[in-house]
Amino acid sequence: MEVEDLGHHISRRFNEDLERVRNAVLTMGGLVEDQLDRAMRALAEADSELGLKVAENDAKVNRMEVSIDEECSRILATRAPAAGDLRLIIAIIKTITDLERVGDEAEKIGVLAARLAGQERPSTNYRELRNLAQHVKEMLRGALDAFARLDAKAALAVVKADDVVDEEYESIYRQGLTFMIEDPRTISRVMDTMWVARALERIGDHAKNICEYVIFMVHGKDLRYTGLDHIEAEVQEAVRRRESRS
Amino acid sequence: MRLPQRWVSQLGILTTWLVVALLLGAWFGGVSWWIVGALGIYLAHVLRQVYLLDRVLEGEKRMPSFETRGLWAEMFARVDKIRAKSRSRKKKYHRLLREVWESTGVLRDAGIILNAANEILWFNPAATRLLGLDPSRDIGNRLDNLVRHPDFVRHLAEPKGEDVTIPSPHRPDCWLSITLIPYGQNQRLAIVRDITRQMRLETMRRDFVANASHELRSPLTVISGYLDALAEDDELPESWRRPVSEMQRQAERMTGILEDLIELTRLESAEPAARQDFVDIAALLGQIVDEFRQRAEGKTLELHVETDAALLGKEVEIHSIAYNLIDNAVRFTPPSGRIDVTWRPDGDGAALVVADTGIGIPRDQIARVTERFYRVDPGRSRATGGTGLGLAIVKHALQRHGGSLEIDSREGEGSTFTCRFPAARIARRGGEAGRTASAQAAV
Repeated sequence: MEVEDLGHHISRRFNEDLERVRNAVLTMGGLVEDQLDRAMRALAEADSELGLKVAENDAKVNRMEVSIDEECSRILATRAPAAGDLRLIIAIIKTITDLERVGDEAEKIGVLAARLAGQERPSTNYRELRNLAQHVKEMLRGALDAFARLDAKAALAVVKADDVVDEEYESIYRQGLTFMIEDPRTISRVMDTMWVARALERIGDHAKNICEYVIFMVHGKDLRYTGLDHIEAEVQEAVRRRESRS
Repeated sequence: MRLPQRWVSQLGILTTWLVVALLLGAWFGGVSWWIVGALGIYLAHVLRQVYLLDRVLEGEKRMPSFETRGLWAEMFARVDKIRAKSRSRKKKYHRLLREVWESTGVLRDAGIILNAANEILWFNPAATRLLGLDPSRDIGNRLDNLVRHPDFVRHLAEPKGEDVTIPSPHRPDCWLSITLIPYGQNQRLAIVRDITRQMRLETMRRDFVANASHELRSPLTVISGYLDALAEDDELPESWRRPVSEMQRQAERMTGILEDLIELTRLESAEPAARQDFVDIAALLGQIVDEFRQRAEGKTLELHVETDAALLGKEVEIHSIAYNLIDNAVRFTPPSGRIDVTWRPDGDGAALVVADTGIGIPRDQIARVTERFYRVDPGRSRATGGTGLGLAIVKHALQRHGGSLEIDSREGEGSTFTCRFPAARIARRGGEAGRTASAQAAV
């Protein structure tokens, strides 16, 4: 399915409905991206007010999930979509769940940033966390861009990037353990940074999920839990088939 | 209506053909068969020409050339001319398009054309550089599907003001300013500029001012301390008393300027909207008015509270607004003058009005009076003191509360400063209490 295919419906209202709900998902995605951005900024700049603001703002993310969910139910009930459209609606319902969870993780980071703002900063000013956050932000953006463009190849690239994120998380984890063992007075602070790292790693996983939904939307194949090599093979095959057709 | 020559000749040929058939029929017998035969041959000829014309219109390049005159020849010639004209026009448009494309290609700013549904119709190469738009697949997609920052999405739906500033989705640490210009039939042109450098300069300036102010405070405290000690020292020679007192005043003035600078910097770099705490402004005004009455030296100071509405904002900043305005009014009003402080309803919102019968502000300088360190008349300001930053602080604090400042003044008669607060910042007593920041969410 291509973006243009979305336009070919007998009922123009239906077409507009689909476009609108797709756009609503991406608006929600943009809000969540901004939440993550601000939460990390609160951490880097020791801005507890900003961190708490991010936490407050999560209510907005939740409201968007509910409203998009209702809209999807309405479309399913009144239009009984089939094939590509049905895959789109299903993928949207799943995507907003993952986005809402990303919002929750960003909220957690915001609260942790507020807590850490008042405490002693490490000399690196959380550089490793910031690097991890940068990668995760790119994954999230890549996932949403792939959703916007129905680009399975781009989605695949993001799925691959999750390995790097997992490795970085592992290293931060091990480093944290070392600090805590060396100096038990730092335990509270280091635990908080580990929670931040965990939240970031979770966000990476959610971004990966969204990419799998994109691939499902585009190629009609459910590739969850099938392993990276299999996903890659399927996507390459589908892309080759599409290119030979056009 | 006169028939064109080619038709006349064609009809002539047909007539001649029929006459020939008639004569041959009369000679050989079976006239009707001869007529039918002649018409049949003519029809076949016409059909053949139509077939060739059809082929030519379909796109065949070669023109049938066996006829140089007559109806059909002329028709083919005209089709040929039309095609040639269309080819040359197409070439001209291609050339024009290529030039437009090349010129927009070298623009540093990005230009994106949107239709009424915010779908992308066209964009230049800079849009790829600044926003990450993909020329091979993003035409037709909605712009806010790809540029998703909440501030931009909001601005796209309801533009408030000239432009909107967002961090770049494509490059980290890059800031963009986006302006939307409507044109044509419901189309909009989005212009995107890279303002990272300006933002950095702004940040540098603010940091510099903040740092300098902080650094200067400590030495100043030391100087003030010693001056205070000297002033209280009974053994200080009389001739030094006035100089020491003057030095104290100047040191106090410097401290005031530094504190105002620090506050201004804080106001500028904070989030655009102030908190929403409940502020009992009537009580606040009462406190400030009482404080100033004690040092008003004969000036009349009256407070009028005409509504029990309270404000939702940051108490410290509201205090700054009121304090600075009343301070100015008292400062620039002669001893026999009058200052009226009013808190009254204003449409859906409310307004704080500080009116005085002081020396006023010349009409052409009213607009500049809120600039930092701006003095209407350096001479008179030196006499009356003040830091020159009060109105700048008022303006910024008001902006952060979504309010606006109106200045009305007549030289020699007095000035009226009106601060309007929007309905969103008003709380009715007993009704909605201020929303304080929610408690820390459980992790």
